[in-house]
Amino acid sequence: MSSEQPLLAARGVGRRFGQTTALEPVELEILPGDALALVGPNGAGKSTLLALLAGALEPSTGGIDRRKGVRVGWAPQRPAQYGRLSARENLELFARLEGEAEPEEAAAQLLRDFDLPGKASPSADLSVGNRQRLNLAIAFLGRPEVLLLDEPTAALDPEQRRRLWERTTALPEAGGAFAFATQNLDEIERFADRVAVLRDGRLIFTGGIDEYDRTQTDTLFA
Amino acid sequence: MKRTLLLLRKDALVLRRSPLLLAILLAYPLAIAILVGLVASYASAKPRVALVDEDNLPPTVVIGGHRFHVDRTIEQVSKNVKLVHLSSEQAAQQLKTGKVVAVVTVPPGFIATLKEMVRSPKLEVELSQGTISSRVEQQVQALVYSLNRKLQRAYIGTNLHYVTLILNGGTGSLLGQQFNVLGMAKSERLLRSMPQTPRVRKLEDFIHDARLALANTGDAMRSLANPIGLQRTDSRGRTWVLSANVQAYALALTITFLTLMLAAGSLAAERDENVIGRLARGLVGLGHLVWAKVALAAAVALVLGLAIATAFGVIIEVGGVTGGEPWHRLPLLVLGLLLAGGSLGALGALLGALAREARSASLVALLVVLPIVFLGLIPSEIVPPAGWASSLLPFTHAFQLFRSALFDLSPWGEVAKQALWLLVLGGIFGALACRGARRLLA
Repeated sequence: MSSEQPLLAARGVGRRFGQTTALEPVELEILPGDALALVGPNGAGKSTLLALLAGALEPSTGGIDRRKGVRVGWAPQRPAQYGRLSARENLELFARLEGEAEPEEAAAQLLRDFDLPGKASPSADLSVGNRQRLNLAIAFLGRPEVLLLDEPTAALDPEQRRRLWERTTALPEAGGAFAFATQNLDEIERFADRVAVLRDGRLIFTGGIDEYDRTQTDTLFA
Repeated sequence: MKRTLLLLRKDALVLRRSPLLLAILLAYPLAIAILVGLVASYASAKPRVALVDEDNLPPTVVIGGHRFHVDRTIEQVSKNVKLVHLSSEQAAQQLKTGKVVAVVTVPPGFIATLKEMVRSPKLEVELSQGTISSRVEQQVQALVYSLNRKLQRAYIGTNLHYVTLILNGGTGSLLGQQFNVLGMAKSERLLRSMPQTPRVRKLEDFIHDARLALANTGDAMRSLANPIGLQRTDSRGRTWVLSANVQAYALALTITFLTLMLAAGSLAAERDENVIGRLARGLVGLGHLVWAKVALAAAVALVLGLAIATAFGVIIEVGGVTGGEPWHRLPLLVLGLLLAGGSLGALGALLGALAREARSASLVALLVVLPIVFLGLIPSEIVPPAGWASSLLPFTHAFQLFRSALFDLSPWGEVAKQALWLLVLGGIFGALACRGARRLLA
C-alpha cells in the first residue's frame, strides 16, 4: 500500500445478489497516476467491483472512500443511455446532470471527439459500435479525474480504440487515474501499470505490471 | 429540484418519441370522453313511448264541471318522454323491435268511466325488457300521479259543490236530474221564525253544529286525498347527480389506469435502459428519480383530465344535456388532477420499484389497478371493509374530489378533505417508492 492518499479506495467492499456472492470483501486503492487493469475470467466480479467503485451499486459489506472533490466517470459494459433520445440529447442531458457549465458545447465536443452522429435519430437505432462510443463519451462528461471503464474496446474499431486510449492515458499524466476491466492481454501490457486479478469473486492478485506474469495469467484464465 | 425537472423534461421527450404510447395516451381519454358523453346524453334523452288511443280522446274533456285539456296533458308528458301516436298493431311491432320502449293504451270507454266518477278507469302499460324500462315505468307512474292529482282536485271541487248546496241551498244536478235544495242556513232561519219549543231548539242546535262541521269538509277531503304532502325546496346538493358521477368516474378511471401504468413503467424502464446505475452514482438521487415520475404522472393527469373534461363538456353541450358542463369549475379541477395524478404516480412508482422491469411493472400496475377501481366502485355503506380498503388508495379520493370540484354547489370542504387524503397517500407511497427504488440498483 502506498502512503499517498488514494483517489478511490475499496475498503472491505463486497456484494451479494440474493444468495449469490458476486464479490468477496475486497481491499483496493486507485492512486493518482494509476492505470489499473482488472482481469479475470467471466463472472469473476470485475464489473461488480467497477460498479461499486463508481457508486452505481451499493455494497453489501464495506464501503468506498472517495477523495473529497474527485470526479469519477464510469462506462459500464452494457451501454447505459436512453434509447429514445439521440446521441446529442443523451450527452446534453448527462452534461447538465454532471453540472457542466456549457452542456451544449460539452456535448458537441464529445460528438466530434467520438465521431458520433449528430442527427436526431434515437440512439437505440445506432450501430453496436456507435452505442458503445456514446456510452464511453458520456463517461467523459464532467471532466472526470478517475475513469472506470468496463471492457471499453469490445465493440470499437481500431481507430476508435486508438482515440479512446489516447484520451484515457492522458489522465494519469495529469494526476488522475483509470481502471479498466478487460479480457485483452495486449491492452493490459500496453496501457496498464498495475494489475488486479479476480477469480470467483475474490481478489487474488494485485501488483505492478512487472510482477504480473503472463504464464500466471494463463493459469488464472484456465 | 433542477435535476427532477431535467428528468421530467427527458421523460416528456421520451414520451413524445414513443408513438404507440402517445397515441394511446391521446386516444384513450378521447374515447372515454366520447363514451361518457354519449352515456350522459343517452341518460338524458327522451325515451320513445307509443300512445295507443282506442277511446278517441277528444281535445278537451269536462269532468266534474272541470275542463281538462287532453292535448296539454300529453304535451306535459312529452317533456319527459317522446309520445308517438300509433295503432295497436304498430305499437306492438315497434315494441318488439325496440323502436319504442313502452306502449301506453287508452282503452275504449276510458273517458266515459272517468266522467261517471264512480269507478277508476285503467290505463294499460306494456314495457320492453331493457335497462331503460324502469325509467319509463317511473315516467308513466309520474304521468298517472299527475293526472290523479288533477282529477282529485276536480272530484273534491264537485263534492264540495254539493256540500255548499247543502249548506247554502240552491239548484243542483245529479246524473242529469235537476233539483232544489233548501240548505241549512235557510233551514236555521226558518226554525228561528217558528215558536221556540224545546224540540225546535234541539233542531236549531243540530243544524248549527252540522254547519260548523260541514264548513271544514273541504280541508278534510283534501287531507284525505293527500295524507302526506310533498313540498319541493331548492336543494344545496349536486346540480345533477348522474352527469356528475359519470364524468367524475371517467376522469378518475382514466387517470388511475394511465398514470399508474406510466409511472410504474417509466421508473422500471430506467433500469431496463441500464441508466439507473449511471444516475444513482451521485448524479441524481433515487428520490429525485421517483419524484420525477410522480411529477410526470401529475402532468399527464392534468393534460388528459382537462382534455376529457373539455371533450365531455362539448359533447353534453351539443347534446343539450340538462345542467350543461360547469366550465367555471375547471380551475378547481386542475388542483384535483394534479393531486390525483401525483398520488397515483407515487403508487405507480412504488409498483415500478418493486417490479423492477418495465414489462412486469406495466403488468403489475394493470393487475393492481382493477381491484383498486372495483373497490372504489363498491358503496362503503353496503360493504364497509371495501370502503376502508378503498380509502387507503387514491382512486376513491380522486373520484370524490372530481365530483365535488365539478358539481357540488359548496365544494370547498370536500375538496380540501380529499386533497389532503391524496397528499398524504401520495407522500406515503412516494416515500415507500424512494425506499423501494434501491431494488432497481440490484
